[in-house]
Amino acid sequence: MDLSSIKQPVLDGDAQATVAAATEAVAAGVSPSAILTEALIPAMEEVGNLFACGEYFVPELLMAARAMSAAVEVLRPSLVTSGYEAAGTVVIGTVQGDLHDIGKRLVAMMLEGSGFDVVDLGTDVAPEQFIAAARDSGAAIIALSALLSTTLPAMQSTVEALRAAALGDTVRVIVGGAPVTDEFARRIGADGYAPDAPGAAALARRLVRVGGEAAVN
Amino acid sequence: MTGKERILTALALRQPDRVPLYIHGINEAPIIGIGRHLTDGLPEPKLFHEMDPAEKMKLLDTLFLLHEEFGVDGFTSFEIGHEVEVDAEHVKDDWGILYTRSHHGLPVAKGHPVTNAADLEAYRPPEPSRSHLLLLDMGRERFAGAKALFWLMRGTFVRSWRLIGMENYMINLRADPVFLHRVAQMVENYNLQQLELLAEAGLDVLVVEDDIAGTDHPLIAPRHFAEFVEPYNRSLVERAHALGLKVVRHSDGNLWSLMDTLLASGYDGLNPLEPQADMGLEKVKDSVGDKICLLGNIDCRDLLPDGTPEQVDEAVRQAIGDAAGGGGYILCDSNSLHPGVNPENCIAMFEATRKYGVYDAA
Repeated sequence: MDLSSIKQPVLDGDAQATVAAATEAVAAGVSPSAILTEALIPAMEEVGNLFACGEYFVPELLMAARAMSAAVEVLRPSLVTSGYEAAGTVVIGTVQGDLHDIGKRLVAMMLEGSGFDVVDLGTDVAPEQFIAAARDSGAAIIALSALLSTTLPAMQSTVEALRAAALGDTVRVIVGGAPVTDEFARRIGADGYAPDAPGAAALARRLVRVGGEAAVN
Repeated sequence: MTGKERILTALALRQPDRVPLYIHGINEAPIIGIGRHLTDGLPEPKLFHEMDPAEKMKLLDTLFLLHEEFGVDGFTSFEIGHEVEVDAEHVKDDWGILYTRSHHGLPVAKGHPVTNAADLEAYRPPEPSRSHLLLLDMGRERFAGAKALFWLMRGTFVRSWRLIGMENYMINLRADPVFLHRVAQMVENYNLQQLELLAEAGLDVLVVEDDIAGTDHPLIAPRHFAEFVEPYNRSLVERAHALGLKVVRHSDGNLWSLMDTLLASGYDGLNPLEPQADMGLEKVKDSVGDKICLLGNIDCRDLLPDGTPEQVDEAVRQAIGDAAGGGGYILCDSNSLHPGVNPENCIAMFEATRKYGVYDAA
């Protein structure tokens, strides 16, 4: 079966058509994990590329992520029984004192679209909440967001607290948000920085592929 | 020239006697930090609502004082009295939008009273209130024509998404465009009514504050911006001009792909020109400096919080060199004097504007 019939409705942000195409593929005997890894995840990667080059904007990203998510919900029972394993778990939140949500939610959606399980802690998240959630979920990656330059110190102290918590050598911390730069990420000891939501998803994929090697350029 | 004349001359793309200085927005902490150089008796930095009446009066007086002492040519006012406290952490405005207070900046919209067309049918927007213009009245009385009076008016995009939720707005660009247009029309009606009150109250410059872009791109596609946002803001520009006011457009972020649409709206000025968003002054001046006055660009993300006064001095010198030639530039930071800026650096920015901003008599 031609899996482009599943990719295109994701690119179009059409949840109903995506679910229909995925359901049809399952009925035609395509394995749910193939639908995910060969159609849905590549479609979201293409959405990320279109966003990066300025053809797609936040609404198109949101619609595509929702379409993908709707299809994953339909596939989930089969994925579980077939033993499919997610790319890893990401704990994500906006740092303490910062109440902004939309950018972080976009990153969470793109991470889910890249095959990660995501634990979204919301906004104004204290360091100890990140630590507890990472321990509970066995997170491979902890993602910190900040919109305000005045909350960057909270990002730094959160990274320090995560390091002090000794969560394990393979747990990586990535950071992002409007005032965050590559240089700042490096300075506070983060393992990675991305300038936007698709970039964060690509960074997370790279980190789990290379076994957690630091990715600050 | 008075500060008002200086600002209005620059907004008319002509050359004043010196480069005007403007503060688009300023939080309590920098008012107090800068104010300590001018007056005694200021409280420790805290949010306005945490201050007692005497501290609030002192803060406002200090805000006026720093405009006078540092030669800031325009005074920014905005609506007050339109919010009620829900609890210690939350306020609700007269549109019914719930905000969570923040120690790191402005309250953040978290509760949205309208989610769909059915909600909108039942919803009644507020009427603009003359009593909410108190800060403008205070500025007018204090400065008595010496400074240009600015007003920050939330534009169509920001008011719309606060009312219905950001994600909901984004989804409805496709799911229910008629709903978005009706919301925008409602916002436009309110803003036009408030504009009449503002003109009667002696306003000089309307600032349509409508953040629409991130560091690299607009939040929504340019075609959506041209359909759902700018036509409703453009009617404000047209009415403000008919009332004899100047109009400045404020939006964070990279505005290049929206520039033609913005210019077609007829704004007199563009703010805040973030250097990190490819809105460098040399490029903007070269590209559109003959069509629109430029306000901003002194970096409040890295330079004003973490730089030195010497670096700020140099940045102001550079900005004036890049953008002030022939007029049409008003010096201002690249967004606001937020709680993270170093007061010493703000003072360095004010003083450097006086130092480098004098135009040759010729």
